[in-house]
Amino acid sequence: MLAGLLVVAGLAGCGNASGNGNESAKYNPKEKVTLTFWHTYSDTEKNVFNKEVIPLFEKKYPNIKIKSVTMPTNNLQQQVISAAAGKSGPDVMRMDKGWVPEIAKLGALQQIDTMKDFQKVKKSQLSAAMVSNLYKGHYYGIPNDVNTKIAIYDKVLLKKAGLKEAPKTIDELVAASKKIKDTKHFGIGLGGTAQWNFLPYFWSMGGKLSNDKFTKATGYLDSQASINAVQQIVNWHKQDLVNPAVLGGQPGFWDGIKSHQYLMIDDGPWFYSLQGAPAKKNTVAAQFPTGKSGSISILGGENTVIFNSTQHAAAAWIFAKFIASKEAQQIMAEKTGQLPSNLEAMKQVKASADQTTKQYIEQLGTAKPVIPSGNAGKIDDLLSKTFESIYRGKISVKAGLHNAATQLDTLLQQ
Amino acid sequence: MKNSLPADPFVQAKMSLRQRISIGLKQYGEVFPYLIFGLVGFLTFSVYPIVKGIYMSFFNYNIINPALSHFIGFANYIKVFQDPNVLISLRNTLLYSLVTVPGQWILGLLLAILINAKVTKFKVTFRMIYYIPVITSWIVISYLFKYLFASGPDGFINYLFYSQLHLLPSPINWLENPWTAMTVIWVLGIWKGLGWVMIIYLAALQSISNDYYEAAMIDGAGDKAILRKITLPLLKPTTVFVLINLIMGSFNVFIQVYTITNGGPLGQTEVLLSYMYKQAFQFMDFGYSSALSVLMGIAVFILTYSQQKKIGQSNI
Repeated sequence: MLAGLLVVAGLAGCGNASGNGNESAKYNPKEKVTLTFWHTYSDTEKNVFNKEVIPLFEKKYPNIKIKSVTMPTNNLQQQVISAAAGKSGPDVMRMDKGWVPEIAKLGALQQIDTMKDFQKVKKSQLSAAMVSNLYKGHYYGIPNDVNTKIAIYDKVLLKKAGLKEAPKTIDELVAASKKIKDTKHFGIGLGGTAQWNFLPYFWSMGGKLSNDKFTKATGYLDSQASINAVQQIVNWHKQDLVNPAVLGGQPGFWDGIKSHQYLMIDDGPWFYSLQGAPAKKNTVAAQFPTGKSGSISILGGENTVIFNSTQHAAAAWIFAKFIASKEAQQIMAEKTGQLPSNLEAMKQVKASADQTTKQYIEQLGTAKPVIPSGNAGKIDDLLSKTFESIYRGKISVKAGLHNAATQLDTLLQQ
Repeated sequence: MKNSLPADPFVQAKMSLRQRISIGLKQYGEVFPYLIFGLVGFLTFSVYPIVKGIYMSFFNYNIINPALSHFIGFANYIKVFQDPNVLISLRNTLLYSLVTVPGQWILGLLLAILINAKVTKFKVTFRMIYYIPVITSWIVISYLFKYLFASGPDGFINYLFYSQLHLLPSPINWLENPWTAMTVIWVLGIWKGLGWVMIIYLAALQSISNDYYEAAMIDGAGDKAILRKITLPLLKPTTVFVLINLIMGSFNVFIQVYTITNGGPLGQTEVLLSYMYKQAFQFMDFGYSSALSVLMGIAVFILTYSQQKKIGQSNI
């Protein structure tokens, strides 16, 4: 009942937001403005951002001051919605890529493809990262940073499987998994049944979620190629090749590789930054194993968005562009390990990066984002539950994917 | 109080209507400052959200830009009756109620009687031990349970019952199976709530006059007869109060589900509030979420109203 009241109480006092885009907003260099910028940077990232990136920006634009606010990550999406509804949101925000189309659908974000220099900025960014800003054919943000997952192998189990280097293909991974398999050792590092876990395998083995325009799922999600890809994963499960962490079993994903029980997991750069030197010493970082369609991982990261409630859209756009620039992203990459979305910065960082970071940057070249949609939450729930139902044997692969494709069609049309 | 109406009805009758109105208005003027804050709070935080919630339930509601909302009549309500997940959530909420209300009630009463017994020592310590869960944060306790019931042989409960005591044939995947996950949620609900029941009953037990017990003992009544014929009947008003509160509280089940299972696996442990919350804040479907909350509000109102009628009949 309390939560019910919270839901409705949270909605009280909603006002009208302004319309889309701000074509006419022009920056007046003489006007002094302060922009509030919400982010969820870690302590290290925050220090570098506040002490190096912001001063650099304020030196360039002395009349634009940035008020940098670190937001708690728990329930952030709800906080953003409540703030936007109450017109107390920030001017600019660094938010999860997956949220952008959803918040844009609510009418909280500025359409930015009408802004000055938009095409130039778009060209400077990784194209898959730009896609995550799309809602109904328009862009509502620009990339801030990117990340993806690569394959991480345990050296002890690689040796046990008789391999001197990481498997390059999914077939090689399966063969190695069969060699090390017993009641405590598992080869295939699927981390769960959510999109973030399932899609790299699904895509690499030829599966497709929708057409390229993200408007139709039937004929794609339920195609023979998709069915084969998911069937393959189910077969591995039946052969006990997949680790128990996929359904919440023990050991956990990271514990499994630390205790030399899991041959492989796939994860983002935070695996190495949080685990420190032992992780680098005990594991081999490699590209996601290649399947029928190649080595396709999933794209994550954050985008910079401008809220409709801002009074300083032009200044906010200048700031958003600056965060996406080569110089800002290079500082963040070199000092914090954050992966740049700016292609030039990416090139520069790759040249001087260590082997692990190079693997991440290389993987970014083929990584794909989830479907950008105003119904992202519902799509995520639908696909995750579909994969889980199939994986648990509650429904056949064909029927599960067909049902999901039909429902996905409706969600993509809304 | 000066200027107040005389208590004697004969004196009241002698006063003119004008006098009575003027005294009445003065009285209202005196209590007004004390009432206004409560009234404003009630209107702002209870009435307005309820009215707004009902309004929103008829729209495909856009929370940030309400002007873009579409009126869809009863579509959200029709959807509620066609949505199989609502049925699962309703089933789980009712089951939670059916299991945890008697669980908390019986155990809480038992504890209160045991602690109140003359032979029991360290009464304050026991009271404190059983009351600590009540004042501890739901979030903290939910996470504690999540880790206690972790799967595999290393989860604490599995370690205890499988590895050490060998009472389980294999480690249980507690949170990955709907029924075991619900059991964890129920156990948490009972454990966290029984301390409250115990305290209320302790207060009630201590308020029963010793005269009854002395008289009964003089008449030669044994312990069992005293419990059955004196203690329990005199606790009846407390029992009604405790049960109503427990039933209403059980419909509030949310945090433990949201934190421990988040409705999983496959939405099988979802309860009404967690489902409603997801519809609003995960799927941004505020209109549908409001329709769910309106229907739930009506159900709880009917339940509470019928119980209150019964209380009225039993003269408490």
